[in-house]
Amino acid sequence: MTAPSAEPPLIAFRDIDVAIGGRPILTGINLEIYKGEFLCIVGPSGCGKTTLLRLAAGLLPPGSGTVSYEGKPVAGPQRDVAVVFQDYGDALLPWRTAAGNIALVYETMGTPRAERAERIAAVLARVGLAEHADKYPSQLSGGMQQRLQIARCLAQEPKLLLMDEPFGALDAITRQDLQDQVLKIVADSGTTVCFVTHDLEEAIYLGHRVVAMKPHPGRIAATYDVDLPYPRDQQTTPEQPAFMQLRRTLLEFIRGAET
Amino acid sequence: MMPRRALLLLASAIVAALIVALWQLVSNLHLVSPIFLPPPDRAWAALLFDIDRGGLGGRVLLTLQHMFFGWLLASFGGILIGSAIGISATARAYLAPTLEFFRPLPASALFPVLIAFFGLTENMVLAVIGFGALWPTLLATINGFATVKPRLYEVARLMRLSRRQFILTIALPNAMPEILAGMRLSLTIALILSVTGEILSGSPGLGHWIMLQARSFRTPDLFAGVLLFGLIGYASVQLVSLLEFWLLRWRGR
Repeated sequence: MTAPSAEPPLIAFRDIDVAIGGRPILTGINLEIYKGEFLCIVGPSGCGKTTLLRLAAGLLPPGSGTVSYEGKPVAGPQRDVAVVFQDYGDALLPWRTAAGNIALVYETMGTPRAERAERIAAVLARVGLAEHADKYPSQLSGGMQQRLQIARCLAQEPKLLLMDEPFGALDAITRQDLQDQVLKIVADSGTTVCFVTHDLEEAIYLGHRVVAMKPHPGRIAATYDVDLPYPRDQQTTPEQPAFMQLRRTLLEFIRGAET
Repeated sequence: MMPRRALLLLASAIVAALIVALWQLVSNLHLVSPIFLPPPDRAWAALLFDIDRGGLGGRVLLTLQHMFFGWLLASFGGILIGSAIGISATARAYLAPTLEFFRPLPASALFPVLIAFFGLTENMVLAVIGFGALWPTLLATINGFATVKPRLYEVARLMRLSRRQFILTIALPNAMPEILAGMRLSLTIALILSVTGEILSGSPGLGHWIMLQARSFRTPDLFAGVLLFGLIGYASVQLVSLLEFWLLRWRGR
């Protein structure tokens, strides 16, 4: 995985303010995400991390300020920006099989029919669902459904992958498994990731950088570089001094932010 | 689970057999005059005879046609109009009260109106069925559109689905359970209106036939016709249920 370079940012937030129903949600946001970077956003609930992600996805226009993607202002959803939601059950089409859910992407992209089957199989294989192509979401476990949603995003061949607490509803073992899968996929494809979570250890384990936010109104309080080499390991990475130190810093920060 | 279901099926078959036996007993004991209530064995014999010699088969076929095409008309109309209204939240809000006014309107009240338009024709019968059987499917479609999860709207926006793609790949499949339930209800309405339509228009279907039997006091034949209607209703609803089961297999256990 390449470290952030001196190139122009892939996505940049400039002086963003967002208010919903007169209540300020985000204020004074300035943030840049660089190509190939894995950026994690942490913060207590109500700090606007999800709103920030929705701005990046083009699902929500900023009240003031600009969000620019590849140097151009974001006016709506982009084909090469994909979002993984936490509620995989609601984000998948329950009436389509795993393969059918992936096919949706190719149908909307106008991919030639002849190519679809092969590409669907390849994408499913990347998340380890090759054997489950013909199953409906209701026949898959939570972890598998989330992998399917990730696969659907990968089918879009995104330059930017936005993930909104994607593993929050999964058990610890499945979560670790998926963290490693995402790291591997990102390392292979060079996709830029913006990952929202409230799990500090997850943020440190995954990211190049961790952005910490404060609530009322949501703002960026601090940014930390994660000084840990890739590939990371569930066993040894959390035992490294840099990991433990950053965890302590973030924990103190969160306690300070919530009181 | 399976033995329990088989047991229930057996039990319900026994209950049905007991009811027929009771009917036979009441007739045999002449508790009711056979002019009004013929015994089941005579109704059965009349049924076999009428199918064999009386050309009942052709009449049943005609009634099935009325019912089926009327139902198709109502289903397509319901899904089409329902989609057009359902896709827009504004249209839903404006039109829902009016639709609720039309829905409980007894479709048979429309016969005089539509007879004025179409005369005593097959088209009139189809039009009444189409109108009367429209509502369950129409309202189910609208409701099915209204219950698309907000998350799926976002997924659709992110994938940049066109309005048409959204209707075909998300809204209609989402509405499918309700649409199929509506279509099942509308099938029964279609059968009822086929009978009424045939009696009124003189179209030589089963409905018209049982009326003729009643007028000439051939009660075993009348009951044979009623029995046939029961069978048609039961079998057609079972067929749609099977279709429903297959189309909704994604819902899981």
